[in-house]
Amino acid sequence: MARALDLRGRGDGADRAFRGLAVGAATVVLVVLGLIAATMTRRALPVLEHMGPGFFTSTRWSPADEEFGALPFVWGTLYTAAIAIVIAVPVSLGVALFITQLAPQRLKRPLVYLVDLLAVVPSVVFGLWGILVLSPHLGRSFLTAGIILAIMIIPIITSLSREVIETTPQPEKEAAYGLGATRWEMILASVWPHSKGGLVGAVMLGLGRAMGETIAAALVIGSALGQITVDPLAPGNSMPAVIANEWGEADELHKSALIALAVLLFIITIIVNLVASSIVRRSMARTAGRRT
Amino acid sequence: MTQKMSVLLCLALAACGSKKDAAGTDPGSSATPATPGSATPRAGGGGGGNVDLDASGSTFQKTYQESAIEAFTKAHNGIKINYGGGGSGKGRQDLSDLVVDFAGTDSLFKDADLAKAKGGAVLYFPVLLGPITLAYNLDGVDKLQLSPATAAKIFDREIKRWNDPAIAADNPGAKLPDADIVVAHRADGSGTTDNFTKYLDKASGGAWKLKSGSTVEWPADTQAGQGNAGVAQIVKSTKGAIGYVDLSDAKASALHYANVKNQAGKFIEPTAASASAAGDGIDVKDDLTFSALDAKGDAAYPITYQSWVVVYAKTNKAEHAAALKQYLQYLLTDGQKMLPELDFAPLPKSLQDKAIAQLGKLAG
Amino acid sequence: MSLAPVTSAIDLAAKPSWRSVKNSIASGLMAAAVLAVATPLVLVLASVIAKGAGVAFHDFPDFFTETVPIVSRRAGPGMGPAILGTLLVTGVATLIAVPLGILGAIYLHEYGARQRFARIVRFMAMVMTGVPSVVMGLFVYVTWTLTFGYSAFGGALALACLMLPVVIGTTEQMLKLVPDHLREASFALGAGKARTILSIVVPAALPGIVSGALLAVARAAGETAPLMFAVGAATAYNGHVFGGANTALSVQIFGNATSSFAAAQDRAWGAALTLLMLTFLVTLVARIVTARVQSKR
Repeated sequence: MARALDLRGRGDGADRAFRGLAVGAATVVLVVLGLIAATMTRRALPVLEHMGPGFFTSTRWSPADEEFGALPFVWGTLYTAAIAIVIAVPVSLGVALFITQLAPQRLKRPLVYLVDLLAVVPSVVFGLWGILVLSPHLGRSFLTAGIILAIMIIPIITSLSREVIETTPQPEKEAAYGLGATRWEMILASVWPHSKGGLVGAVMLGLGRAMGETIAAALVIGSALGQITVDPLAPGNSMPAVIANEWGEADELHKSALIALAVLLFIITIIVNLVASSIVRRSMARTAGRRT
Repeated sequence: MTQKMSVLLCLALAACGSKKDAAGTDPGSSATPATPGSATPRAGGGGGGNVDLDASGSTFQKTYQESAIEAFTKAHNGIKINYGGGGSGKGRQDLSDLVVDFAGTDSLFKDADLAKAKGGAVLYFPVLLGPITLAYNLDGVDKLQLSPATAAKIFDREIKRWNDPAIAADNPGAKLPDADIVVAHRADGSGTTDNFTKYLDKASGGAWKLKSGSTVEWPADTQAGQGNAGVAQIVKSTKGAIGYVDLSDAKASALHYANVKNQAGKFIEPTAASASAAGDGIDVKDDLTFSALDAKGDAAYPITYQSWVVVYAKTNKAEHAAALKQYLQYLLTDGQKMLPELDFAPLPKSLQDKAIAQLGKLAG
Repeated sequence: MSLAPVTSAIDLAAKPSWRSVKNSIASGLMAAAVLAVATPLVLVLASVIAKGAGVAFHDFPDFFTETVPIVSRRAGPGMGPAILGTLLVTGVATLIAVPLGILGAIYLHEYGARQRFARIVRFMAMVMTGVPSVVMGLFVYVTWTLTFGYSAFGGALALACLMLPVVIGTTEQMLKLVPDHLREASFALGAGKARTILSIVVPAALPGIVSGALLAVARAAGETAPLMFAVGAATAYNGHVFGGANTALSVQIFGNATSSFAAAQDRAWGAALTLLMLTFLVTLVARIVTARVQSKR
């Protein structure tokens, strides 16, 4: 794949102008992210000064007493996301394996379409369905929110997993079959070790999306304040849901607290992405190493 | 019909706004964003002189705003009004930041927030009163009666069964079932929650333990619903449930609601009339702020609250000020007549007169 | 090296019948997973169609053309301004995000490659993919809406921020698929770099780029939270991008679904069906474009 020419050489004026345009466009990403971080952090400062480190450790959220502890919402965000992951991962992997290993060629494309279709159902439609159809049966709780989130992230995890699994080299699969393996044993022996890292990355990306989902979660999670419990049927709250629910009636300090929640959520999302990208990169490096 | 046609045209053109500019029929609309100070008057499809008024805030008065806007804009062709709801706090913030021309709110600005308002001094115009009902779902009990202290104990979970002696004492002769009470409250921050908890705080004689505010630390064994409708839905679908809901929403969901004991010791049914009666017994300050909660008077329903439209005394766009003044005038006069039908109470005469007089302070 | 796990995972000493049973169970579970995915989709679609079709297609095309009733408790159409609003907001967002995203991806793949700056941008674009939409809404509210007021453009900015990293990601993937020999041939003919990219590389990758962008558009059209902060609440048609409050289907769904009145809830389902049809239409177009590329190869 070595390039015959140095494609990075500088050209004439038009070339330089075009390059500048492209660099500028890429810089927009950094500028926007920087602006988000700066403006939001500035607006979060009042509550951080008011609460100190208590903002991150206190379990009490009481606007009436100007006490703002984010911990229960961090818990709610992570817990519902975890429930969503526990439901979504086996289903997504199952579908990805079905599409790549089991499905007859004719069925393959319709299945890919089906998953993509699920991916573009707007979250507010799921929320509508969740609150009017699902919650009357299940109540409003961590679990209900987790189920709705799972339905939303399954298409993401499925399509990423499918791509990872499809990169399993044919010789490795044939080696397993050659030893007399059944299809399932081949999956365990060849597909799984090859795809492990990439699959973890796919799951982490799904996790990021589950943590940021707002409207659907806000409608079905139950909106209890200060709730830190492992009981999945208890009502809880998540960071984006609190922001969406309380913004309308919040006064100055309360608003600052909600923006601080947004900043905290942003930081957690970045951490998740960092972990995901490093896992993916390591697995890609390993796969590449094995190929050569 | 012409509107439909122009819409189809718009859809075909996709980026309708800029295309219209190019055609020259719509001067200066997309080139200059609305300037800070107030939303700019925008020329609509039909030519000059049109004014758009943007508003947000209290969802409590949204029903009234919707009906009033429909009637008012029908009679005033050049004026368009968008009332966005979103909550009283959002309305006050948006007004403070000059994002809207007026705000609806169920509670007052805090002094510190008012100092940050970018448009200077504000005026409060009360527009309506309305009852908050204690809606419940209980077989065999057609008319529950509750005193403020009992209601406080139910909502802070001190009383957990329907056959509790305190409830029985309020309802002599009623057959109260031996069933669990399910408390339903708002998931979103809400002026209704704020006023309801203020009432419990004020009237329950110390029985209310959870403080007051738009967001309250409800015990975890309660249920939360989105908006009045969400609470109503929980009450309707849950045996043994009780929640606080606007009268109009409680009626729309066909819920039973309790008679509540007022200061005079009478159990009063929440109606437009009993809310009006509450309005007769209030003390109004010079700036037309007041609280209708726990009002005096034999016929007053005690959980009655109020909603204001807040505007800046001075707007720097004359056209806007004039339209705003006209609309406020409508809200305070002819508009009041439709309130009982919407399950709200009109302003008492004395208050209405003061509010109309205050229109004189408005520029334009 | 790859043989070690193979031999350990395949227990040839186990009874063949048990191994084939295990295989069947696994296959059954995979098929069950497909059902598990299909079930919620079918349930959601069934609810939306059952409750929305009657509303949306009553007196066709009124629901799609009439203004939103100012009095929300009253029965009747329509969602015209919300459809226009959704088209405007997502249309403008597309105009902002797609060219920027494509240019950004061109930088990443054609110029930056493994340079440090390119790596940073690539990582930040991924971070940006994970920024929750409600945070994007708040961001646009404080940076744009507070200064310029409600407008379709504010909503478009928020959606563009959400779309941009997605477009960059998919476009870079598509550029990777363009074989190097095309570039080399172009250079050999004396074309400059910019010209090579614009007339050879991008056209070769264009259908794929378009389909990626369309998927991003479909997702953006369904976003609710950012629009509630930036777009305001109009009930009448507003074709002006910069001027004044607008509305969108997603906002109407949320607002009407949280109303007590049956008429409003009906409209929520009708709007949900409309939005679904719109997003599915966009997805369908994306699929057709992709399929055409694949058949060409």
